[in-house]
Amino acid sequence: MSSAHSSTRTYLAIWGWLAGLMLLGVVLAELPIPKLWIVLMVLALSSIKALLVALYYMHLKMDRRLLLFVAVAPLVLILLALSVVFSSHFIQL
Amino acid sequence: MLRLSHVQWPGSEGHLSVPVGTLNTFLLIGSSMTIVMALAAAQAQQPIASVRRWLVATVVLGSLFLGIKGFEYSTKLAHGIVPSTNVFWSCYYTLTGFHAVHVLGGIVFNLVVLGWTRQAMLWQGLRHRLELAGLYWHFVDIVWIFLFPLLYLF
Repeated sequence: MSSAHSSTRTYLAIWGWLAGLMLLGVVLAELPIPKLWIVLMVLALSSIKALLVALYYMHLKMDRRLLLFVAVAPLVLILLALSVVFSSHFIQL
Repeated sequence: MLRLSHVQWPGSEGHLSVPVGTLNTFLLIGSSMTIVMALAAAQAQQPIASVRRWLVATVVLGSLFLGIKGFEYSTKLAHGIVPSTNVFWSCYYTLTGFHAVHVLGGIVFNLVVLGWTRQAMLWQGLRHRLELAGLYWHFVDIVWIFLFPLLYLF
């Protein structure tokens, strides 16, 4: 089996996972459970889908480690910035 | 922050169709698959017709996404739902509007790459730009992956 056929099968499999996880999120949103749990679970599913796109469709999995660092570093900074912004809601000075 | 600062978050109040949003998400993740297939075909030195087919599929899926988004906009506006209706609709129109502009930009980018494939000599020198078009398109897809649940499901 050529590597071209192999990558084609991988891309189709990832598409299947993306579609399946999206439908799972839609079903989870309809369940009679606390909304906070729904938000956390569906956003976790979205993060997994984004990771699949980045790793396989954007080829981050096959790229050099340096590129992985370039992609992840801004995410850490965004998390830090968001934690500062959201902390103002929970901490009253 | 806007949501946390509103004790009563207005939400879409049933004016957003989850099936329509799901269909649009399906189209966009499908277009991410088709553009990566175009790149795989180009890297495997397959006939240029194969690359072109996958690129055309990407453009068609992206255009369908925009068409459905336009249909959604028109039905909201017909019901008098505008950005100033409340904070939810301000967020909805701003986020989806800017996203739609990026999708349109991606379609134009893909059409330009498609044009390059018509000339073999030109394509040899510019084929790496298909990967750049793909990276941009996947970025637009990732943004929608988060916008869909935030606007339609919560």
